[in-house]
Amino acid sequence: MENNYIYIPDKSQEEFRCRVPLKDTDQVFVVDGQGEKMGLSLGRGEILPRMLQVIQVRSSRAAEDLSYSSDYVLGEGAQAKVLLCSHTLSMEDFVTHENVNVKLAQGAVLDMVVMQNEHNKSRHSTSFKVEMEAGAVLNLNVITLHGGEISNDIDVALNGKGGECNVNGLYLADGKQRVSTRVNIWHNVPECHSSQLFKGILDGESVTRFSGRIYVAKDAQKTEAYQANNNLLASRTAKAYTQPHLEIYADDVKCSHGATVGSLNEDELFYMRSRGIEKSEAKLLQQQAFAYAVLEKVANESLRERLHSLMESRLRGEFSECSNCSKHCC
Amino acid sequence: MENLIEIKNLHANINGREILKGIDLVVKPGEVHAIMGPNGSGKSTLSAVLAGKEHYEVTEGTVTFMGQNLLEMSPEERSWAGLFLGFQYPIEIPGVTNVNFMKTAVNEHRRQKGLAPLTAAEYLKLMREKLAIVEMDPAFSSRGVNVGFSGGEKKRNEIFQMAMLDPKLAILDETDSGLDVDALRIVATGVNKLKKADNATIVITHYQRLLDYIVPDIVHVLYKGRIIKTAGKELALEVETRGYDWLIKGE
Repeated sequence: MENNYIYIPDKSQEEFRCRVPLKDTDQVFVVDGQGEKMGLSLGRGEILPRMLQVIQVRSSRAAEDLSYSSDYVLGEGAQAKVLLCSHTLSMEDFVTHENVNVKLAQGAVLDMVVMQNEHNKSRHSTSFKVEMEAGAVLNLNVITLHGGEISNDIDVALNGKGGECNVNGLYLADGKQRVSTRVNIWHNVPECHSSQLFKGILDGESVTRFSGRIYVAKDAQKTEAYQANNNLLASRTAKAYTQPHLEIYADDVKCSHGATVGSLNEDELFYMRSRGIEKSEAKLLQQQAFAYAVLEKVANESLRERLHSLMESRLRGEFSECSNCSKHCC
Repeated sequence: MENLIEIKNLHANINGREILKGIDLVVKPGEVHAIMGPNGSGKSTLSAVLAGKEHYEVTEGTVTFMGQNLLEMSPEERSWAGLFLGFQYPIEIPGVTNVNFMKTAVNEHRRQKGLAPLTAAEYLKLMREKLAIVEMDPAFSSRGVNVGFSGGEKKRNEIFQMAMLDPKLAILDETDSGLDVDALRIVATGVNKLKKADNATIVITHYQRLLDYIVPDIVHVLYKGRIIKTAGKELALEVETRGYDWLIKGE
């Protein structure tokens, strides 16, 4: 196993404390993009026994625009679980461009959870480029809790028969936050399976954009591909744009897409209030229920529970009042 | 004996159309009232107005509940004060489990009384005790609120919630609709078990059938937004055999 991350627990923990580390997890820190060749590479049949948590932080020591890349290369039959967290430690107008390159050889399995939690003026764009060989499996869950302008571009190329990718996301936005998500799933060969479930909860004057494309090449018969994007508007001034695309050149496929933008359900709210649940709490329960399906896709139980509680404090507005998120993060 | 609720000359509109045209009703602790009436007489509107549903406009009259002006209170405040509405069509809330829903509600009630929230073990104990009243399987608690429940299960869930919240006044809106005989018996038995000297129930129903199980002290007939007849439990039987026509004549 080759892990190119730099372990700097002592130094980083001074400013960035992790009070409640997840169990069975190794932590590595990436401070201000430092590290030449970041990433993970696993040889044939290698299985990473513990989850690798990569904590990326930006600090006031490097306020300039940064761009950096990391590579995740899994050999034949290799397996890994990775959690990528990104945070800002101070209030500079950080701009970060990040590339995450993933290569999965035949039968490799990668579970990747991305947790984005940055301050209101931070701009962070991430480009995920994934190439998958036959029988490889990718589970990617992108959880955007907080950030000024967050954009996630996800490209997955299914290049070998029997590949499976499940790409899901939850974005929470309020104030004047912007979150944009672009997903392209390239079914280049037959018999691959892909699914997408993206959900957004929008409050204040936030704006989110979702654009998802399923491309099925001419010979990619027996493709199964599904996409759903659902948005919940908690205010009258928030805007959710959603654009599904299906581009299908094969004739023996199962594909579907669905996109919705809705508001809180008045009947449910009244029912809960009539039982003595305060309006604000009833709204919170409804929002949690809405997001539930996405968080349930996260396989790691302790991480899933952590995300549920982070989401709850976020929806209670506890996050947005903080200038420094280190108190709340993983 | 002090009145639990006192409704005086209540008028209410929805979308500018007057549905309630001067309701007068007094309920005292320990009493069971039945409100009967043909379709469209305003029965459900009355329960919705009392529970505080939005979009209903009260244009005239007063409602005093345990000494407080009910019409100025939010739906949650009414619940905290001890009012409970059993819904004719209980709402499904996918993603919110029954246990989470009721635990939040019970603890909110406790918070209002200055009591500490129940621990998980205390809640579980209370829940099992109350589930038994309506013969519900504890497995229900981990399912979404009313999601995938049959008509009977939904109504039993309403009575379970009533048992958990221990209201002073329960208004049961057409609790018998959509119930088979067994479910009707379970629901009615549950309501009877919850009867105490200091609480009261208003049963809103189309049919005499439910009143065989939940025996009212006083029966009212509502017609075109007004109570046109009030009598003892024999009135329900009379309505069952003679219908409403004889009452409506001359109205």
